[in-house]
Amino acid sequence: MKVSGYQLFWMVSISSMIVFSYLPIHLAAEQSLQDCWISILLGTMIMLGATWITLRVCMQNKDKTFVQFINDLIGTVLGKVVVTMYFLLWFMQMSFIAKGTVEFQNLVMLHNTPMLFILLCLLFLVLYAVYKGGITAISRCAEIIGPFFVFMLYVQLFLNPQDMDATRILPVYADSGLLRILSGTLHSFNYMVDPSIILMLFFFAENKRSATRGIFWGTAVAMLWGVVSTLVLLFVTGPNIAAELVVPIYSLTKFVSILNFIQNIDAFFIPLWLFGAFIKLSIYLFILSYGLSEWTGYRNWKLIACLTTFIWLAYTIYSTHNIQISNTLKNRYLIGLCYPMVYIVFPLFLWMIGLIRQRRKPSSVN
Amino acid sequence: MIRFVLLTCVSLLLVMSASGCTDFIEPNQLAFVLGSAIDHAEDGTIEMSYQIVIPSLQGGPSKGESSGDSAPFFVMSAKGKDVFEATQKIQLKMSRRLLTSHRVLIAISEEFFNKNDASKLFDKLSRDPANNLRDIIIMIKGGSAKEFLMIKHPLEQLSSIAAGKELDINGLKGFSSRELIIDSLSRGIRPLMPIIQIEDKKLSGKKTSPIAALSGFAVLNDRLKVKGLLDNNEGSAAIWMQGKGTFQGVTMPWKNGQGTLSFRLTRLERKLRSAPGNDPGHIVLMVKAQAYLLENTTPLDMSEVKNMLEVQKHINEQIQKDLQLTMDKIRQWGPDVFGIGEFLHRQYPYWWKSQKDDWDEKFKTIDVTVKANVRLRSTGTSGAPLE
Repeated sequence: MKVSGYQLFWMVSISSMIVFSYLPIHLAAEQSLQDCWISILLGTMIMLGATWITLRVCMQNKDKTFVQFINDLIGTVLGKVVVTMYFLLWFMQMSFIAKGTVEFQNLVMLHNTPMLFILLCLLFLVLYAVYKGGITAISRCAEIIGPFFVFMLYVQLFLNPQDMDATRILPVYADSGLLRILSGTLHSFNYMVDPSIILMLFFFAENKRSATRGIFWGTAVAMLWGVVSTLVLLFVTGPNIAAELVVPIYSLTKFVSILNFIQNIDAFFIPLWLFGAFIKLSIYLFILSYGLSEWTGYRNWKLIACLTTFIWLAYTIYSTHNIQISNTLKNRYLIGLCYPMVYIVFPLFLWMIGLIRQRRKPSSVN
Repeated sequence: MIRFVLLTCVSLLLVMSASGCTDFIEPNQLAFVLGSAIDHAEDGTIEMSYQIVIPSLQGGPSKGESSGDSAPFFVMSAKGKDVFEATQKIQLKMSRRLLTSHRVLIAISEEFFNKNDASKLFDKLSRDPANNLRDIIIMIKGGSAKEFLMIKHPLEQLSSIAAGKELDINGLKGFSSRELIIDSLSRGIRPLMPIIQIEDKKLSGKKTSPIAALSGFAVLNDRLKVKGLLDNNEGSAAIWMQGKGTFQGVTMPWKNGQGTLSFRLTRLERKLRSAPGNDPGHIVLMVKAQAYLLENTTPLDMSEVKNMLEVQKHINEQIQKDLQLTMDKIRQWGPDVFGIGEFLHRQYPYWWKSQKDDWDEKFKTIDVTVKANVRLRSTGTSGAPLE
């Protein structure tokens, strides 16, 4: 199973944009109102940095997957514990994206269709892609869906120029101040991009150098989109409405009215978001089951994928019945501790260990 | 291979039809709502009315007219504790599902604003995905909003479409519900709302029929209560100073009562700046426009440069005087429909922090000077008046 740098570009940009269009803008705007674009901008910088560090770590361990090289770097026991944290993170992301997608469909379009049915269709499709073709199938899908998805999401931002008023982001800084801007960043940056998926995906890259470029540019394209869409949202709705919009990009499509004729174009975007969610979920399912198979030593990762899907299905259904569990996204420990750990601190730590070992090697040879 | 293809086809069919079992709605199962009306009802409830299109009676305007009494729409209404409850009561009496996504207008009666907290309506507009925030919100005076929906328009098929077009064709943009919500949530600007009045007019022959027409603007305060009403002339002055207008017409008397001059004003702009000395208490509001002379009943020969300059000077003085009058009138009422608070908020953000509470009262003490900069672009296609 090999993936090209071009395919990685699309996979990373789709999977970042799909979450970016949903969570971070709302979380940032709640904190810093009209300055949330600064929060988002800072967040994208942090995430680009995190991606860069993660890529450094991957380049140091080109020929191994995450599960293998972490054992080399920090020992088997500690390595397994750390990897478990990542597994939990991926599983949590999977279930909340699946749940978010399905509940959104129920809210907006399919009022009476049972939620279970939509969920089953979605999970079946994801499992099918992963089971039949693994990462190859996913990357090919991403290659086809990517250009449409990214292009349409960018175009959508410029469909209501008549409603935009750039003065709505003024005054800059004075109202919220540094503290609230930073708190906006802290609340939102975790959901902009998930650099931890690269740790697993990089192993499958055909050409490591072009893969690095692809991943970095994929992240950059998604981050740019995030900043521009935050600005556009503020231009169109002003800070007070923006802070309350739970699905801001969807609401933005509803404002579009071209010559009083082309309206209600959200129906075109909902399938696109479904495509995006499909790519994101398949990537997660693949890396989770592949990682688990390496972690346990059980070679048949396809079987693990099936089992994971069952647990995933059960957990998602359970979490929809338990409001407490399903709304933990703003949990203080999650935001302040867990995400920064897995996205920034661990990769940084691994990179440093890698650097030290590289230094040591030539000296030990001499 | 054949088995695989068969299996795929069957499962595809199953999947595609499955959501149809529960959520398939054909266009002939939908009732298109083009206008909503909200009225005050006793005992703390509100009355919702929906103007629903009858598709079989839709056609060209002439066709609608010839069919006599049958209008191409009907109005359903019900009372409820909130919008949803009232809507649900209407839905129960309908054979088709109400579709509000294409609504163009929400009419709210003046009484409703005065007796209810109208900002409670905003939640429904932004929470329920079946709403779009593109529809225009207007206030109905001299009758209930429900009555307005029932009125037939001589030119358009529905009164709500007519009112929307009326605003649009007169260059009055920016009265959508989105902008109303933005204005009422910001602390430094208050909403200005178009008023539609229902009057009996003799349109043709002996018959008098009620007609709904734009008759000014309402100035609302921060709790969306009506603080004052502006007539059409004052209204267009306020719109210009608010920065929302795009074009308008103006007629002014010439000196010594020697006839009048009428202009078309285009490219309306306004700029705010604080007076020299950077004092937030003194604001200069600068309005800009380009004027085209279209009627002249004065003895002036407009082909002479001297007269042109004099007319240009006269327009500026006159407009400055008129706008200042409107400005002072609204300033006495209190609500800052011009967004001067918002301007100060952006210009002096730290000063604003201590001033933003109770802005309606403080706005009364702000000194706003209106300055006009209107350029005479053209004097029309004739020089001296033809006499």
